[in-house]
Formats: sequence, C-alpha cells, structure tokens
Amino acid sequence: MLLSLMIFIPLLGMIAVLLLPRESEELIKRVTLIPLALAVYLFISYDRSTAGTQYVVNAPWIDAFNIQYHIGIDGLSVTLLLLTALLGPICVIASWRNIEKGIKAYMALFLLLETGMLGFFAALDLFLFYVFFELTLLPMYFLIGIWGGPRREYAAIKFFLYTLFGSVLMLVAMIAVYLNSGDPGARTFDIPTLIALASTEGHALNNLNFQIWVFLGFFIGFAVKVPIFPFHTWLPDAHVEAPTAISVILAGILLKMGTYGLVRVNMAMFPLGLDHFTNGIGFWGNSLALLGFINIVYGSFCALAQTDFKKLVAYSSIGHMGFVILGLAARNDTGITGAILQMFNHGVISAMLFLLVGVLYDRAHHREINGFGGLGTRMPVYTGITTLAFMASLGLPGLSGFVGEALSLLGAYDEFKWLTILSTIGIVVGAAYFLWTLQRVFLGNLNPKYEDLPEINGREILTLVPLAILTILLGVWPNLAIDMFRESVTNLVNVLQAI
Amino acid sequence: MTVSLISLILLCPLAAFAVFGLLGLANRRFPRQDYLSTAAMLIALACSFLLLREVVPEPETHTVNWVSLGSVTFSMGFYLDSVTAIMLIVVTLVSSLVHIFSMGYMHGDPRYPRFFAYLSLFSFSMLFLVVSDNLLGIYIGWELVGLCSYLLIGFWFEKDSAANACKKAFLTTRVGDVGMFIGMMMLFTKFKTLSLYGEGGIFALAASQLTTGDMVWLSIAGVLIFCGAIGKSAQMPLHTWLPDAMEGPTPVSALIHAATMVAAGVYLTARMFPILTETSSLVIAYVGGITALVAATIAIVRFDIKRVLAYSTISQLGYMMLAIGAGSYVAGLFHLTTHAFFKALLFLGSGSVIHAFHAMHAHGHDDEHEHDDSDAHGHEHNEDSDSGHVLGSEIPPDQDMRNMGGLRHKMPITFITMLIATLSISGVPFIFSGFWSKDAILAGVLGRAMEWNSVHHYILFIMALSAAGITAFYMFRLIFMTFFGEPRNQEMHDMAHESPLSMTVPLLILAVLSLPVVNTLWFNAAYVKPPPQPHLHAPAHAYIAPDTKGGTGLAFSLFGVSEAVAAEENAGHDTHGTHADDGHHGHGPAHTIAMVLSICVAGLGIFLSWLFYHRRTLSAESVTTTFRPIYDLFWHKYYFDEFYDGVLVALTVWKARLFAQFDGTVVDGIVNGVGVVTRDILAAFTGAFDNRVVDGIVNRVAQVTWAVGGRIRRIQTGAIQTYLFVVLAGIVLLILIFRAL
Repeated sequence: MLLSLMIFIPLLGMIAVLLLPRESEELIKRVTLIPLALAVYLFISYDRSTAGTQYVVNAPWIDAFNIQYHIGIDGLSVTLLLLTALLGPICVIASWRNIEKGIKAYMALFLLLETGMLGFFAALDLFLFYVFFELTLLPMYFLIGIWGGPRREYAAIKFFLYTLFGSVLMLVAMIAVYLNSGDPGARTFDIPTLIALASTEGHALNNLNFQIWVFLGFFIGFAVKVPIFPFHTWLPDAHVEAPTAISVILAGILLKMGTYGLVRVNMAMFPLGLDHFTNGIGFWGNSLALLGFINIVYGSFCALAQTDFKKLVAYSSIGHMGFVILGLAARNDTGITGAILQMFNHGVISAMLFLLVGVLYDRAHHREINGFGGLGTRMPVYTGITTLAFMASLGLPGLSGFVGEALSLLGAYDEFKWLTILSTIGIVVGAAYFLWTLQRVFLGNLNPKYEDLPEINGREILTLVPLAILTILLGVWPNLAIDMFRESVTNLVNVLQAI
Repeated sequence: MTVSLISLILLCPLAAFAVFGLLGLANRRFPRQDYLSTAAMLIALACSFLLLREVVPEPETHTVNWVSLGSVTFSMGFYLDSVTAIMLIVVTLVSSLVHIFSMGYMHGDPRYPRFFAYLSLFSFSMLFLVVSDNLLGIYIGWELVGLCSYLLIGFWFEKDSAANACKKAFLTTRVGDVGMFIGMMMLFTKFKTLSLYGEGGIFALAASQLTTGDMVWLSIAGVLIFCGAIGKSAQMPLHTWLPDAMEGPTPVSALIHAATMVAAGVYLTARMFPILTETSSLVIAYVGGITALVAATIAIVRFDIKRVLAYSTISQLGYMMLAIGAGSYVAGLFHLTTHAFFKALLFLGSGSVIHAFHAMHAHGHDDEHEHDDSDAHGHEHNEDSDSGHVLGSEIPPDQDMRNMGGLRHKMPITFITMLIATLSISGVPFIFSGFWSKDAILAGVLGRAMEWNSVHHYILFIMALSAAGITAFYMFRLIFMTFFGEPRNQEMHDMAHESPLSMTVPLLILAVLSLPVVNTLWFNAAYVKPPPQPHLHAPAHAYIAPDTKGGTGLAFSLFGVSEAVAAEENAGHDTHGTHADDGHHGHGPAHTIAMVLSICVAGLGIFLSWLFYHRRTLSAESVTTTFRPIYDLFWHKYYFDEFYDGVLVALTVWKARLFAQFDGTVVDGIVNGVGVVTRDILAAFTGAFDNRVVDGIVNRVAQVTWAVGGRIRRIQTGAIQTYLFVVLAGIVLLILIFRAL
C-alpha cells in the first residue's frame, strides 16, 4: 500500500495540478515532497537483512493474460526509488524560476514522469514494468519538445523514436518470454515466477538459444536507455536541448532505468544468455565488457573534445555509465555492488553537474566553455561547489564517485584483465576534461564581460547542498548505501554462479 | 590510547578545514582561520609526540569495516609502528612551522583564510595516508593530497602559469596513480584483500602463498604500484610537474613539494618493501638513481631560486628511492626525515628572500614589510603571468638569482639558516644531519652493488656519488649567488630586509633540526627495521631479529640511526650465507669507502662552486660556451616538456577531436539516416494502418526532418493540456479494455 501510494501520489498531484488554478503553486511544490517523505520512511524501515522483496502488492489486473499489478522492492529497487524521490523535489525547486511558460502543464508532465519512474523501479510484473517504462517516454518527449532549447523538437523526437525503437524489440522479447512461459492459460508475466522458471531444468525458458535471443531483445531496449555505444547519440542532443531540471532527471534517473532493467531482467532472468555474453571466452564472451570499455574510453575522449559545457557533461555520463556496464559484466559481488553504487552516485553527481551548468547558463545565457574564464574570483561559492562536483565525478577518493568506480574496476579485473586495464585510460581522460574545463571556466583572469555575474543564490544552493552532502557522505561511508542492497546482490551472484 | 591519539591527530586539521568549508557555503569566513588551522596543527604535533612514546616493538593495527560485500570486506584502519610515528612527527612538525611561516608570508593575501583551510585539508590527507594500514586507505590519502596540491599550486589561479601548473600536476600524478590502481587490482584479485598487515593481509599471504612461479607477476604488480610513487615523488619520467608546481606560494612548496607529499612516494615504496622482488627492486633502484643524477644536472643551470630547489628535491627523492630499491630501508627513510627538515628550510629560506624582494615591489620602501601587502601576492607575478615557464626562459625577478647577491648582510638569519641547510644537503661531514643519511644511502647502495655481484650495478653507486657531488656544487652556487658577492641589482638590494619573526623563528627551528639532533627522533630506531623480503633471491639487508639487535638503538644515542643502518648491513650478510665471503669483504669496507668518497665529492663540489661563483677563478660563461650542447640539454631539461606537450598532449587532444567528429558524423549520421529511411517506409504504409500512434510518429518524423532543414513548427502551449488529457484518457481506456478482456 505504501509503495502504491508513493507511486501514484504524483499522478494524483498531476490531476490536481491540472484542475486547480494557477495560484496553487505551493501545492505543486509539495506534491513531490510526499514521495520523498515516504522514501525516507522506506529507507528507515527497509529490512536490510534479507534479499527478498518487501512491501509487496499483488493484485490481479488483466486476467485474460494473467497480468498482475505486482509491485515490491528489493535492495536495488529501493536504492533507485530513493534516488528518484530525492531528485523529484530538487528538480521542482530548480524549475521554479526557470520555467516561464506553461508552468502548470510542465509540472503536470513532470509529476506524470515521476509516477512512471517510481512505478518502473517497483514493478514485478513484466507487463507492468513495460507500461511504466513507456509511461516515462511521453512526458519526457513533451518536456524536451516544448520547454527545450532551439533544437528541441529534433532532440525530442530523436529521444522518443530511439527509445521506442528499443522498446519495440523489448516488447517482442517480452511476448516471446510470455508465450514460452507455459501452456496456454498458465502463461505469466510475473517476474519472480519467470526467474524461477528460467533456471528450472528442462523448462522452455531454460534454453541457451532462446535466452540469447530474448537477452538481445531486452538488451537493445535497455542499451538505448543507458545509453550504450553505438546507441548513445540521442543523449547529447536531448541533454543540450532539455531544460536544466529535465536534464537532471534524464541523467539522474532515466539512464538508470536502462541499467536497472539490465539487472532486473537480463541478468536475473536470463543467466544463460548473460553467461554467453560475459563468460570471457571468445568475442561474444567478452562483448558486454567490451561495450563497457568502449563507453568509458569513447565517452571520455568525446567529452574531452566538447566546448559546450552541457554536452561535455552529457558525454561524461556516457563514460561513467560504462563503469556500470563493466561492473555488471563482471558478475561478481564486487563488480555488481560497484555498478549499483555507480548508478546511484552517478545519479547524484550528474544531477549536481547539470544543476551547476544550469546556474551558469541562467546567468550568462551561453554554455561555451571557452567563453568564460576567471569566474573563480567572481563566484567563489559556485566555484567551490563545482570543484566538489567535478572531483566527485572524476572519481576522487573520499567522494562517492570513487567507490563505485573502484569497485566496478576491481570486480571487472577478476574477469576481464585487459579490458579493465584499458578502461583505466578513462580515469586519466576523465580527470583531463574536468580539470581543463575547470581551468577554462574558473581559472585565469576574469573575463571582463562577467565582472558583474551574480553569485549563486540561496535557491540554487538549496538544490545542490543535499546532493553535495550525499556525495561526501557516501564517499566516506559507502556501507550506508551498500547495506540496502548487499543481500540482493549476494542473492543475484549466487544465482549467476549456479550456472 | 593510541587510537584516540591518532584520531585526534587526524580530526584536528579536518575540523579546521570543515569550519572553513561550512562557512564558505554561506559565503562567510571565520575571521581567524589562520589561528584555527595553526592551533589544530599544534595540537596534532603535541599528540604526535605523545604517540612516539606509545610506540612499542610490536606494531599495532586498528581497523573498521569500510565496505562490506558478500564475499569480501574492505577495511580502513590505523597501522602504528616506529615509521608511522616518525612520519607523523615529520608531517605535523613541518606543517606547524609552515603554518606559522605563512602567517607572515601570506599576510594580506585576499584569499588568506582559504590558504590556511587548504593547508589543514592537506595536513589531514597526508596524515591519513601515513597512518593507513591498507592500500585502499593509502590510495585515498594519496589522491586527497593530490587534490590539495592541485588547489595550492593553483592558489594564485589568476596567473595562467599557475592554472597550467596545477592542472599539469594533477594529471601527471594521475597517470602514475592509474598504474598504482592497476597494481592494486592485481593484488586484490590474487589475495582478495587490500589490507597489508596481519594474518589475512597481503604481506602475510604473499609470504606464505607465492612461489617462484609467481615472481614475474609479483614484480609487475610491484612496479605498477611503484608507478604511483613515480608520479607522486616526481621520479623520471613523470617528474616534470614538480618544477612547475613552484607556481604555488613558497610555503606550499616547502610543505607539499619538498617535505611531505612528494616524500609519500618514498613512504609507499618503503611500505611495499615486503613484496618487492629482485626485479622490482632493481627497477626502483635504477629509476631512483637516474632521477637523482639527471635532476641534479638540470639544477646546475637554473637561475630561478625555487626551480633549483625543485630539481634538488627531485634528485634527493631519487636518492631515497635508490636506497629503498637497494634494500637500504632504514637509510631511505632516514634520508626522508632529514631531507624533510633541511629542504623545508631551504624553501622557506628562499621564501624569505622572495618576500624581502616582494615587499620592495609592492611598496618601494622596506620598513613596512608585514602589515600592508595590500595588493597581495596574488598579483606578485602578474607582470610575467604568461611566462614561458615550460622553457624556463622567464623568471619572476624576485626569484631570479641573477638579481641577488650580497644578501648575507641584509638577511643574516635567513643566510645562516639556509647555509646550515645547504651544508646539510651537501653532505658536509659530522655536524649536519644530511651527511649521515646520505652516507647511509651511499654505503647501502655500494654494499648492495657488491652483493648483486654484477659489475654493472656499480653504476648505481656511481650515479649516486656523482649526484652527491653535483648537489654540493649547485647548492653552493645558490648560496654564493644569493648571499655572497656584490649585489647585482642595487635597487632591489637596497629594499631588501630581514623577514619578520613569524618567518625567521620557523627558519631557526628547522636549522636546529638540520643538525644531527634529528637523529633523536629515531631514538627507538631499533624498532625501525626493514621488514622481511621473502621474494628476494638474496635477501640482502633483510631482517634484524629484535632480540639480537634490539638493544642497539634503545639507548639514547645521538647517532642511533647510523647504528641501525650498520646493523642493517651486518644483518645482511649474517642471513645471507652464500655470499658470505663477498659480504664479509664487502660490507665493512663499503661503509668506509662510501664515507670517504662522499666527503671527497662533497668537498670537490663545494670547492668548484667556490671557484666558479665566489672567487671567479673559473668562468661559468666560458664553460657554458665550450660545452654548449650539454648546456642546452640541461637548460631544456632534456626536452621532456617539449616531448609531452608537443607529442602526448597533442595526440590526446587530436584523438579526442577525432572521436567527437566520428561521433557527430558517422554514428549520428547512421542514426539520422535510419530515421529518414524508416520515415519513408513507414510513410508508405501510413494509409494502411489506422493507427493514431504510428500516424503521429510518422508525422513527427516528417516534421523533425523538416525542422533540421530549418522549418520549425512550434507546439502551441495551450494545446498541452489537451494532449495530457488525451494521454490520460488513453491510459484509462487501455486499462479498461484490458480489464474487459
């Protein structure tokens, strides 16, 4: 019940927003606080000692296809639910003075988006999972297409079609799984049931060839979302055009839907298929790790060449998601824990980065890195927070980015020595583009054009401080997050190693 | 007791930084950040001295779980042995003195409070590195000191040269750090832990599990971890960042880039001693030896007083590495200690000189030196902010030794203290600490060369010896050019003055510490013993059993360390029977030969320097002309910077642009192409499908394609609500339909 409340309160909020007059601004702000409050409650009450799903609701929905409204959370879900609930209010605050036209519609779409994301991370029925997955697509399309930058329509449609292309393959794979899940009448979309069936000897789902194909179907669907090279080109466009808060959601949550899906479906449900792509034998056995490596190195080098601040951050996301893929490919608890931590931490850190880019853009109305210079003297607080975010993102120990990256690499080295060693190039290049940016924007003599640039204001600091605290806290005390999903990871690893 | 002391040592500077950070967020300042940071450091110093008394022969570890996973656990913890205790004192002592010195030197800087906050953060990170009992903790401290180094080198970031230098420092060291991380991954994969000590630690496991078949693997891991030290301790070929780091304020150069952070590489290598193999030891020894010699040759031709000291630091760090590579564990760490004090003194002394000239720049009269540097150091070098520091062609006038001369009368305290430090680093016998540590290294290297029983390893000793002579030469060149002779720049000379007490007192304290009194720090030197090296074929200076040798150093001995070193050597051939004959013939003489030779080369270096730069019997100019190509090589620092900037950096940026272009044209081009083709195919079928969604998509695709061509159709804001209701209604309808099925 609690979980359902959390998921659907934004939807109720959306209806309320649409019906209420414009003056109800305060209400809009507060709607997103409810999921956050519930998330805090979840964080406190979540039982960390078990790998089982908690807060389960299982009710029949569409009997004809044996589709259920089945939701529940395990360690991975709760981690990402927390992230989503946290970024919600932050984005609302960040949007507050920035969105000038159609604030009501904007907020309504935003709340719909939040429902989609929260539902996605809680769904335990494949069909429901898919519905929520698609549900995020539509509001995102409008949020970019209407409130975005000059090339917003191109970016929005690219995002929409690309994701749709992926999800169609996913849909096909999903139907294939459904049809093979049993005799007519006994077929199911239920994820835990399917996971059990897939590792039952002799069951139709427990077939290497079949698993390889459905693995690929789901994988491409999620790969677009992550995004994994070569399906990533929608991301820089979408980020550059999207308004600040939407970029935050995009990088913070939507990308995680891809990696979450990989863990929830590809890894847990198709261990044979996973084994085929990650056992380290031959080309296919290294393919997933190879994609992680490409993401890291390719994304980092592309970021190094960018002169648009936001595009740079967007490419850095591609690089950082590569560590998630690499960690997952390792299939051991070090790698998977690293990957999940990296998901959460990247959500927090990239949110900070996009908020910071937004702060600068609101003042200077451009994002050309070479067009600034010397802002360190003019905006010391802003510079300080940016330095913190950059350092977290480039993996400075003591801040959260390091732990996920390091664990992913340590785990991956066990399985893929050379690819992991080559991936460390990304660590150096990552430092290079961030420090170079820091130098070009903040160091040197103050560009006389910006002598009067105002310092970051209280509202903006308010959006950044919770994230900064989390960055430091999880850098110093990673167990705080790991406690949430340790048992789930152990459980997953046991399943994978049983193959 | 020890845990709370160590915690207090760590927390004091951290708290001082936190105060700054929290207030900074509110755009406020603690008005006396300087007192706060300094007080924090002094408390840490007091605790370090208390801790020294707690050290017992058996090292202690205290750990907590940091990251616990299903199958592995990463812990964080303290490791306390004599080396830790000594390092803690070195760091807190130098840091305290630098804090005090900075109150004078940095006075009036617009970012004065921030400077002290950074110093505090640095001190915390360095101390954390020193006390960590595991590789991950060391790595964390390691990167954090790198961050502080970055922030402090770029403290005057308005200068482009400083902005370049801090970036270069961070990136160059990170290249080494990645090597170190790969080494850590190798060790972790093998041993499933990153803890070093205890039964489940890497050292114990390596000693018990590894066989000769693992030596190649272990050598690679050792060398990779040493890569981190190459970066941090500015060894060849990653040394180029350190001279540029002199763009930072001079107290920073003293603390970070001379005494502590750069020595962390030596400390790390020493900590890794038990897993060093024959091969990795040799690599370390050669890297150290080459660095010691090459950096010394570069130092000869520099005119910037700080750059001379920077190359000298690189060279001395090479010495320490050479010592550890040659198995002279105690000697290497001993030199680390003595060097920390005399090199900090040299830097602070040069800072005092710069400060004397600087006040003149700012005011034109020399009586207001302390309270009114209103235009701040931030701008002190602005006149040459674009200095081609890469080529070293432009030197700030107040750092250029060609503007100095005759300062000994003007600045007697600075002169005397710097002279003491110079005598110490040059290895002038008996009454200066540097002699003892350098002698120990030379003896160790010679002894080891004899043991390696291979003639060509004597080259290590020759490199070390030549470096010692060259060091004496360029250090006295510095002293003669700065303090002796006639003033070269009368105007600047007239304005120079002795520095205020806050600066001279730290100089005096450090001068005392450059005498062998520093050995008393090592009064429990018997506890400082090289850990066993089970992977050396010929464990040379291996293990001194505490029961047999324990008594030697326990007695309060002024030269306690020398005894420990001697014991180290004796133990070498005690445990090593096969080479016993060689050893017995070699070791006794090794110490004597090394001592005699080192005194000779030091004397020669000083004498030549005197001839060139004081008596001027010999002319540096004519020698320069005669040996032009060699001089050019030294002047251009062996062209390392040219190679890195022109080849490596350029290649990286080129590759990045290539990737980005590829991304924009090829990858995205395919996507757009597929989009267009799909649109056309779908468009053909549109009529056949009475499907709103597909229809909508196709229309959109068409619009977008046109939009790219420049025709942008705006969605009317008013229509959104309608869209939304349609969406919502659609969802409800779908649910209802499915329910009905």
